Amino acid sequence: MTGAPLFHELTARQRIAALADPGSFTELLPPPERLTSPYLAQLGIPVSFDDGIVIGHARIKGKKVYLAAQVGQFVGGAVGEIHGAKLTGLFKAAARDEVPCVLIIESGGVRLHEGSSGEIAIAETMRAIFECRALKVPTIAVIATDIGAYGGIGILSTCCDFRVMTEHGRLGISGPIVIEKWMGKKAYDSANRALVWKTSGGKTKYLLGDADALVHDTADAVRDGISKLLGKSRAVSLTAVKARQKELAKRLKKFGAATDPDAVWKGMGVRNIEAASLASGPEFAALAKRGK
Amino acid sequence: MEKFAKSFPSKPLGAKTAKPWALAGVVGSGNLEVLMERGGKPADAMECQVETSIPGYKASWLAALADFAHHYPAGGTKITINDQGAPPVLVNLRLRQAYDHLTKGDK
Amino acid sequence: MITAKSAKRRQNKSERIARVGKLARGKFVSPGNVPEVLRRIIEPGDILCLEGDNQKQADFLANQLATLGKKDLRDIHLVMSCITLPAHIELFNKGMIKQVDFCYAGPQGTAVADLVKAKKFPVGAIHTYNELYARYYIDLTPRVALIAAAKADRKGNLFLAANTEETPAIVEPTAFSDGIVFAQVNEIVDKLPRIDVPADQVDLVVEAPYPMHLQALFTRDPAAITDVQVLMAMVALRGIYEKYEVQSLNHGVGFNTAAIELLLPTYGERLGLKGKICKYWMVNPLPTMIPAIESGWVESVFAVGGEVGMERYTAARSDVFFTGRDGSFHSNRAMGQLAGHYAIDMFIGASLQIDINGNSSTVSKNRITGFGGAPNMGCQPTGRRHPTKAWLKAGAEANPGPGSPPGRKLVVQMVETFQAGRVPTFVEELDATDPGIRKALHGVTPVMIYGDDVTHIVTEEGIANLAACRSVAERQAAIRAVAGYTPVGLKRKKRETEDLRARGIVQLPEDVGVRPSEASRSLLATQDIKGLVRWSNGLYDPPPQFVDW
Repeated sequence: MTGAPLFHELTARQRIAALADPGSFTELLPPPERLTSPYLAQLGIPVSFDDGIVIGHARIKGKKVYLAAQVGQFVGGAVGEIHGAKLTGLFKAAARDEVPCVLIIESGGVRLHEGSSGEIAIAETMRAIFECRALKVPTIAVIATDIGAYGGIGILSTCCDFRVMTEHGRLGISGPIVIEKWMGKKAYDSANRALVWKTSGGKTKYLLGDADALVHDTADAVRDGISKLLGKSRAVSLTAVKARQKELAKRLKKFGAATDPDAVWKGMGVRNIEAASLASGPEFAALAKRGK
Repeated sequence: MEKFAKSFPSKPLGAKTAKPWALAGVVGSGNLEVLMERGGKPADAMECQVETSIPGYKASWLAALADFAHHYPAGGTKITINDQGAPPVLVNLRLRQAYDHLTKGDK
Repeated sequence: MITAKSAKRRQNKSERIARVGKLARGKFVSPGNVPEVLRRIIEPGDILCLEGDNQKQADFLANQLATLGKKDLRDIHLVMSCITLPAHIELFNKGMIKQVDFCYAGPQGTAVADLVKAKKFPVGAIHTYNELYARYYIDLTPRVALIAAAKADRKGNLFLAANTEETPAIVEPTAFSDGIVFAQVNEIVDKLPRIDVPADQVDLVVEAPYPMHLQALFTRDPAAITDVQVLMAMVALRGIYEKYEVQSLNHGVGFNTAAIELLLPTYGERLGLKGKICKYWMVNPLPTMIPAIESGWVESVFAVGGEVGMERYTAARSDVFFTGRDGSFHSNRAMGQLAGHYAIDMFIGASLQIDINGNSSTVSKNRITGFGGAPNMGCQPTGRRHPTKAWLKAGAEANPGPGSPPGRKLVVQMVETFQAGRVPTFVEELDATDPGIRKALHGVTPVMIYGDDVTHIVTEEGIANLAACRSVAERQAAIRAVAGYTPVGLKRKKRETEDLRARGIVQLPEDVGVRPSEASRSLLATQDIKGLVRWSNGLYDPPPQFVDW
């Protein structure tokens, strides 16, 4: 039962080291360059040498990729000016060089301390992602930790071609506490972790098709999951967007009145809820028949 | 925020290190980040710069850094620390980890 | 021959019960009548025991009591082990209490400190559990006891279920001194699974409108255990558990000891220690014990109370846990504490503050938490006579004089040198010596465990063997040696520390065969609650706050 370190417990740098082919990672704009936030000191918050995101290029199973990992522990992985610039530059380089881009996400969205610079950076990054997709350059988001992908980064992750998730990851825009505040505790109890994960966690996202792969919480499983998607890219076209809207309308019709996430799971083909709750990765996928 | 810098006498680093720089730790509540770089002068001093969001523990910092400089040949290194209230045990652990990565590489 | 005095006490009880009159049907009171019944059965000046155990609370009865006023109830001498509910604090705010004797106030520690500052907390003493129960038979015999039970039958027999805790210790002295026992129960049924308290010791019963307050106090999420705690656990396992061959023990509940429990099936197994250590336990049924139990380390566990979520697992493992004829769990705080005093090789726990003489306390002027069971577990049982390997080995190191027993219990304090917020654990003088606190406690500093009773202190820096020290000065130097970079630790003298290390009185991790770089969470038998559920084959039911699936 022990052995392989869990992916969600690794640091950002350890994740990169575990996903990249040994020795293949070269960091861009590394810590010695001291590109730190110009704003945090005024707020009594220490800066970080990489401003919360490690970027560079590497090889995954021999294939060249641009690879980045956000540092969730540093101001919640939130995007500020420098972090945002690194993110934008990364996807722009991917488009320029026609090299796939993989982002290990761990972020609550915009760094409020830095105001609009984070917003602007996320918007520019999304544009760069669409540039990649127009050139058929694969863009992959990995969402595998409790901090998850929220706010502007939640939106950004859905702009990528693919999302690889584990049961630990969660994907959304408003966090559970905000939802509870607006909808009331009866409608959504943010302290109910099972509810939070059943509504925005990796397993549910996989069932609904918002995540393209659900893997075990180990570096090897994540690496395999990424590698399987590196050759593919989906164009963003009007037809595709309209089809997606139709899917979502169907989903709303089917589950819009549901008051219990188990109803969604059952509706998506899960028969044994208890077993499915305990299962992870491919075992969960096997217990569920993913429908649209 | 409190900021201070001090040099500690230390036996010189070996002629070659696996990497020119190494980073250990993460800036977060109760945590710290240590950047250790070659190229400090003189070769028998460990140059340290600490920036911390919890003022008032300078004596404790200086003692931990002095102990490290005493136990490890770290002369000629530049150590820069961003701290958000890490306890000394973590400080020691990160200094050791950064030193290991710098001298022996990442594995 | 019935003397005038005993007739008087028995007669007074009959009068109180008679006053209840039509407000009860036989023994049974309806919830709406409770405040009036309380008013009629309690008299001014009474010693009143309110069941505020560590875990379960007679909260319905407490809440009803708190609706009364000073004109209804005054000059009450309140005796209770744990002050935990806002309703308890309310009794003081209303000025009903003449004196309080208790053991622990964790959840209300700040409120109690505020009451002390406002001179509204007339305390007799802070006790350790068994000490208070003992006084129920001597000078603190309750006249009225308000208790909590799981179920009652139509005759008034009570079933206490897993959380027996101290109910028998309260009921017996009260019932046998013509006191009144009033129980709140979750449910009244026709037939009980088993009888824990016979009806003739119970005077009044109410079926409460809500289940008794019961908290999962001892569940520690493995996901919150840090690498530093794993390091300390490894050091403790090698430097103490392995060295002394600790066969019987109590773990003060916390993340440090949870790390030790989760290292047994992995690190402990690797060291070949199964069967040599940790066979007999006095501890609550902690979820983090599951992997060690399932791996065959544990012969038996007796507990002072239950733990929410462990009902099915403990029933299934009745080969290890004490269970009743009905198959469900049984506990007993008084007996568990007694076992923890005389019958175990080692107590290991943590504290918030330790001074240079090894005295510890959790009391400060802004937070008065009290002691709980620690003084009892963490003291030398000089009445003990039976030998074990660990007792004799620790005794030999302590070099006792001709007027002392040859063995010593291992009393270990395991602490990180800094608490959260960089507050040092080690201090020159305890916060508990604050004059305001000492005045409130009639001149006694509330020390939880005394340095003379401590055999070892374990920190992330290493182990200090206090038992092997031969003078006060030597003991202080040993403590400073493991106090890291706290102001206390920074005063250590290099030469003294080196000498202590050469003599084995101070041991660093390397000295006991532990490399700090090895210390990692991945060594734990499981790293999250879900893993514990898997280890238990689905029998562990974690409380909702721990479930994220």
